Amino acid sequence: MPPHAAAVELNQLSKSFRVKATRSGAGSVSAVDKLSFSIAPGERVAFIGPNGAGKSTTLKMLAGILQPDAGEVRVLGLVPSRQRRQLAFRIGTVFGQRSQLWYQLPPRDTFELLGRVYEIDPFEHRRRIGILSSVFALGALVNTPVRHLSLGERMRCEIVASLLHAPRMLFLDEPTIGLDVSAKATIRELLWTESEREGVTLLLTSHDTGDMERVCARAIVINHGRLLWDGPISALRQSYLKAKRVTLWSEAEHLDLTLPGVRVLSSSAYRTELEIALEITPLGQVVDAALRQAAIRDMAIEDAPLDEVIRTLYAAAPRESEPS
Amino acid sequence: MTAAQLAKYVAFSRISATEARREPNELYGRMAFFVVILGVFSSLWRAVSEAGMPLAADPKSLVWYLAATEWILLSAPPIHVEIQEAIRRGDVVYRLGHPVSYVAAEFARGLGLLAVRAPFLGVTAFVCAFAFTRWTPPLKALLIVVPFGFAASALITALYLAIGLLAFWLQDVAPIYWVWQKLMFVLGGLMLPLEVYPEFIQHAAVFTPFPSLLAAPASFVLGTSLMTPGVLARNLILWSGATAFAVSWMFRRVVSDVTINGG
Repeated sequence: MPPHAAAVELNQLSKSFRVKATRSGAGSVSAVDKLSFSIAPGERVAFIGPNGAGKSTTLKMLAGILQPDAGEVRVLGLVPSRQRRQLAFRIGTVFGQRSQLWYQLPPRDTFELLGRVYEIDPFEHRRRIGILSSVFALGALVNTPVRHLSLGERMRCEIVASLLHAPRMLFLDEPTIGLDVSAKATIRELLWTESEREGVTLLLTSHDTGDMERVCARAIVINHGRLLWDGPISALRQSYLKAKRVTLWSEAEHLDLTLPGVRVLSSSAYRTELEIALEITPLGQVVDAALRQAAIRDMAIEDAPLDEVIRTLYAAAPRESEPS
Repeated sequence: MTAAQLAKYVAFSRISATEARREPNELYGRMAFFVVILGVFSSLWRAVSEAGMPLAADPKSLVWYLAATEWILLSAPPIHVEIQEAIRRGDVVYRLGHPVSYVAAEFARGLGLLAVRAPFLGVTAFVCAFAFTRWTPPLKALLIVVPFGFAASALITALYLAIGLLAFWLQDVAPIYWVWQKLMFVLGGLMLPLEVYPEFIQHAAVFTPFPSLLAAPASFVLGTSLMTPGVLARNLILWSGATAFAVSWMFRRVVSDVTINGG
């Protein structure tokens, strides 16, 4: 890969799947539609979209498993559909609901197999297993049959398996799906740490906004196979955040804040929770109105959850009939 | 193929052999089935012979014939089931992404299982057939059956791979496998030598791989072999080539228009 080249570059990438003909005569469904973006080496990018948006299809095209119908794609300077095996040595994939571990055997056996598959020098392979087992706190898990592992433990082993050949790029498809809160936090932390430690570029699809916020700095949002948004996650909030949530603790038992764009979400003694449409009424005006009625003892201002931001984004995007 | 590439496929064979050794329940089940089948048919043929009814061969030879055909068939691991399940679960996405030939890796997995099953089932076949007949075929016949039987099992494994690949399009290959079993039963001469079947079946069988897979290797124990070792070796090589070509063609089609389950 030439210096400063993008780790991933998509240009007008398209893919459609054949479906059984319906009465309307539709014969194919567009999964990815003229998608373009690029990712710099070392970036951690969240790839977001609702079910059926084309995320997994895009990942499979990036990994060379599916062939695009049109457009160009380069990953680490290679064309995945034509140089799949060459590319496979440089990328890793983690699919949350799939497994590459041999179910009846301990992960160590799969690790040994992958060492051969990726033609890793035996000494280097042992060293990598040692380092990754330590970072991912595998301990005795490497010698425990996979069928005895919890989902969280298994997922840690899956990620280690995908990192053994020191890939420069890691594609993760829902890596925390089905995990409990604690296991999710562990996986997120480990992904972030490993990416920082080895400079691995991450492209992460997830429906969990916690994954995106804690691991990634940038988001690419797609729907119906098309790009809706590409930029920093913080900018995503700013651009689509039409409202803020404000909680006021006042000296007066109740506040009367009947202002345009202000909605009272809940009200109890000395506490009022509001949603303020900032485009209609600036936050300062609401605070002034409250202060005219009583002294304010405390105030909390929150952004709407990222989930809500993304829902707004999907809703704002034009919908099209799916079959083409 | 370089040594490093070969080592990858050996590694696939080794890990599947390891799994088969550590989880031997299926193997035990097949061994138990083998004992029952040979016990039932040795009693049946003895009874038929004692009743004065005509038989294709000496009842003792027929038991050894059945032991050989069943050994060949039971040794071949049904890898189409695992391929189908991997497609359904979506795990195939990992297997397709590795820097190896998918079909060669799957075949190597099958050979690893075969390498564990064949010796155990072979010993079971020998012990049971001897226990039920108190007789053994000439050593020379057994020495011919073993390598040809192992080669036939490997070819059956490759054919199961072809059946498994159909799951990319059909999702469920059970009906195809059902037809395959019936063809093996009739055209392969699973239970009885092909000579006892109607002539039109014998003629039809010539144009299929089935006699070379079961009847021909097993018939060496009868003393009246269906084919000479040279002809059988040639047939197995030809059918292996045809299978390799078919599998390769099917996989190219899979790659060009595969739609993996799970989106």
